[in-house]
Amino acid sequence: MAKAIGIAPTRMELLKLRQRVTLAQKGHDLLREKMDALVIEFFEIVRKIRVVRTKTMQQLSSAYRSLSTCFAVQGTIETYQAAKEVKKGIEVDISTRHVMGILVPVIEAKPVERHALARGYGVYATSSALDEASREFEKALGDLIKLAELEEGAREIALELEKTKRRVNALEHVILPNLKSMVKFISMRLDEMERENFSRLKRIKAMLEERE
Amino acid sequence: MSFKIATIADAEAAAGFALAGVQDVHIHERKEETLAKLDELLASKDVGIVFITYRVADELGFEFKRRIRAKKLLPVVLRIPDKTGWVPKVDELQEIIRRTVGAEIIVKGGS
Amino acid sequence: MSTDRIIQFELARLNAHLPGQRITLKDALSSSNPQVVAKDGSKHKFERMELEYISKIVHADDWDKLRLPILIAVNPKLGRGAAEISGEVEVKVISQILGKERRDQEIVIYRPEIAVVRAKLPTTTQYFFMVG
Repeated sequence: MAKAIGIAPTRMELLKLRQRVTLAQKGHDLLREKMDALVIEFFEIVRKIRVVRTKTMQQLSSAYRSLSTCFAVQGTIETYQAAKEVKKGIEVDISTRHVMGILVPVIEAKPVERHALARGYGVYATSSALDEASREFEKALGDLIKLAELEEGAREIALELEKTKRRVNALEHVILPNLKSMVKFISMRLDEMERENFSRLKRIKAMLEERE
Repeated sequence: MSFKIATIADAEAAAGFALAGVQDVHIHERKEETLAKLDELLASKDVGIVFITYRVADELGFEFKRRIRAKKLLPVVLRIPDKTGWVPKVDELQEIIRRTVGAEIIVKGGS
Repeated sequence: MSTDRIIQFELARLNAHLPGQRITLKDALSSSNPQVVAKDGSKHKFERMELEYISKIVHADDWDKLRLPILIAVNPKLGRGAAEISGEVEVKVISQILGKERRDQEIVIYRPEIAVVRAKLPTTTQYFFMVG
């Protein structure tokens, strides 16, 4: 096997191999700790997602309903017109936080709820159906922004978790067993060579003694 | 840093988001146009979040999935239900959970 | 060997998220944008609510003694799922969160406790993997 791998069965090589085993073991143990830590992070963010999703979907449903009402009460064309005219420019503040080697977004909605006058529908400012629809969508938007932050975070963490898991598995099931068996083989081979050497020396000694 | 929000949806949802103050709303009509718009948004340095309805994303199919896999951290892309509430049978987050943790952990939440 | 290189690369990357310089609670509280910068230049923002929570636990005199983020030090020698918190003030904060009464320089906490700490202080704590 040593010939096949191209590693000469010497003490030097054995030492190098043992060092590689130590490195691989250290890598495995640390990466496994990282994996465990990522699982904690992942579960926490999923927990948050469950809560926010429920709230968000309810609010969004409510918003769509109030929009339907608005179409009925205010008129479809008028509603679309108001949507075109209304003052826009909602912004979000996005920063980042670290979760072990990956960046996860932190998103803050800049104050979203505007009151009727600030919205600026113009002619349609007095419509309460329009107001209602706008308000409901503003609320939904606030929830959706939070959900976007969480789901993106979950996605990033999951990706990193998968990568880390693969490394840990490769180390545990392939690399370490390989290295360890190579150590074993070379170690055995060295012992064998030493025994052969020893018996050869014994034979030579015996031959020399015979001559005398 | 400040970023804008964009939406890709049907006309009604788009109107709703516009009423809420979202500047950039794209009403989905043809696949190529919408994909082009999506590419524009993904490449933009000003857009922080893109909301796209499940229905439209589903219609864009593999082209959508491919772009999401390849994208940078920003903009964040979130799929949302439209007024019909339609969602694909496979919940992406559920899939991720199953893959990474290897167990069925139900993610409730109206999705 | 290329696998060795990959291992070294991953080990080097383990702590890449940590800041070059930590900041004191005092500075963080008085800053309008409390954050730290990692060695690769990326920024990590501290959540104000977490800072305020910590400031209620820590005596004002000690605000300049507490460095953030608080490090959750993972050392495989402690066994899988264990981590160490060092520093008198840091230990006080973590103990408080866990409902413990500890006045040590160091404590060891375990996975379920780590989960509680991370849930409570997601931006003001960070994992530190002891590679050396």
